[in-house]
Amino acid sequence: MAGQNAKDSPQPPNGRSRRRLWRRVVLYTVAVLFVLNSFWPILMMALTGYGIDLTPIFSGKAVTQVAGVPFYSGGIFPTPAYYIYALITVDFPKLMENSLIIAFISIGIALLVGIPVGYILARVPIRGRNVIAYLLLALRTASPFLVILPLYITYTRIGLYDTYSGVALAEDMLILTVVVWMLRGFFADVPKEIYDAAAMFGRSEAQIFRKVILPIVIPGIVVTALFGLVLVWNEFLIEETLTGGATKTVSVGVWSGVGDTVAVARSVGWDDLNAAGALAFIPAVVVMLAIRRYLARGFSLGQAR
Amino acid sequence: MAVIEFYPIADSVYLSLIQSDGQLGLGVYRTMVSTSAFWNAMNISVLYSMTSTFFAVAIGLALTFILGQNLRGRNVFEAFFVFPLAAAPIVVGVLWSPAEMWDDIQTFLHFILHLPYFNELTPAFFFPVMTYAEAWEWAPLIMLVCLSIVNSTPKAIYEAADVCGASAWQKFRTITVPMIMRSPVMQFVVVLRFIDAMRAFEIPLTWSSWVGYSATVGAPVDSLSLYLYKLLFIPTFGFPVNLVSAMAVTLFGVTLVGAAIMFRLTKTIGGS
Repeated sequence: MAGQNAKDSPQPPNGRSRRRLWRRVVLYTVAVLFVLNSFWPILMMALTGYGIDLTPIFSGKAVTQVAGVPFYSGGIFPTPAYYIYALITVDFPKLMENSLIIAFISIGIALLVGIPVGYILARVPIRGRNVIAYLLLALRTASPFLVILPLYITYTRIGLYDTYSGVALAEDMLILTVVVWMLRGFFADVPKEIYDAAAMFGRSEAQIFRKVILPIVIPGIVVTALFGLVLVWNEFLIEETLTGGATKTVSVGVWSGVGDTVAVARSVGWDDLNAAGALAFIPAVVVMLAIRRYLARGFSLGQAR
Repeated sequence: MAVIEFYPIADSVYLSLIQSDGQLGLGVYRTMVSTSAFWNAMNISVLYSMTSTFFAVAIGLALTFILGQNLRGRNVFEAFFVFPLAAAPIVVGVLWSPAEMWDDIQTFLHFILHLPYFNELTPAFFFPVMTYAEAWEWAPLIMLVCLSIVNSTPKAIYEAADVCGASAWQKFRTITVPMIMRSPVMQFVVVLRFIDAMRAFEIPLTWSSWVGYSATVGAPVDSLSLYLYKLLFIPTFGFPVNLVSAMAVTLFGVTLVGAAIMFRLTKTIGGS
């Protein structure tokens, strides 16, 4: 930027600064356009849930003169009723509770498996490391129905259908790959020197892992767990097919009707749907904003240090 | 744990081998091959994955470029750009629906700019919108990965470019983009995005109800997951467990081999 116009130096300094000003204006405009791209749909959802429909304004005819008096003919009827309806009248809190329980169980299992496996993939040069990595990837490439169908049949047979642990186990098949991959990245981020220093004191592999490496990686584990929580919170297909009335989750409720306690199709009001969607979005976005700086590190495969 | 996680896959293979006469054999697979809706869904999914991955990378790079320009309020911009990542896919389907968004745009174009209405219900319109919605949600992840790659790029390279009088765009095009594209991290994330888009379900599901394909198969919104879902849950198909298993197993094979080739090419899986 400093030497931007070094080649055409005969230009008066006035023209150069004007050009720079133009450049800033264009940049900010583009940036704001992208902010609109990212945020506009979400804003529309939040407003629709609040009973505000902006369509009449876009027609330019929202306000008309009726007998000389400006008359508003639009769809702006702000009311918190839909949010209150979702939060109090119907069982949205119950859905949130279900979602959280399922998310915590599946994250717990994923961490229990993921921490050792991630550590092995990052540090311990055992044979078959690549086989484990490929198998994990296989889990991710699998069509969800490869998992859903046998589980649906088995679950109904052994009574795990519509239970927290059943759904959580199925969710694990979805998030395990991501969890292990992120943990592997965080473990690989630990400088090798720390590991060598610990080994010099004659510590065993297990001791090094527990006393030295694990405390360093705790922030990474937290980030991984939070990202996994959001993934499970937002997941739809497995939760839709493997939950019934008792364990129905938020993302299912947003689509099929927040008020249901039994799994029947019901036409969902547009404003209700938007209010519920906005409510479900809030916790997820808080988590995402908190971990955004660290998220990419988890995907770094231990290479971007 | 491996047993628990891989048991369903083994069970699926077993289910797919049960023929209609109760014997074990490949009869179900023969039925699958001659089902045209299956191939339709396959085409839709591949096209959907490629388009949405392309959009996601394009948006991600654009956001990275903007955030690299020392704008005041950079952190605020970055926070806004991350928002879509937190949206549930099913909500994304709602956000980019005609009722939420395109009707407003129609109104604006028609009443303010006096353009004729365009048809929101043709595949030529809604297919790109679907793929863009998918990309919209995951572009922030691409952006975050790009930013971390940019941060780990030695500053000296950019300073050298400054000395040579390179413009911001030139620096982005000749240093940042090649840096990002050659990074194994980026390649890994892009391949993962492609694989995930192959399983896309929620956005096609919402669109199948916006455009009225909820009860038919072979529609232009039918991604593979949606097609299998419809086969199972539309009562007239009679819960064809074995056929769906066969399709799921086939897909598993295809994506697994595809992913292995892609990872072998990008060499991201082995080393660390």
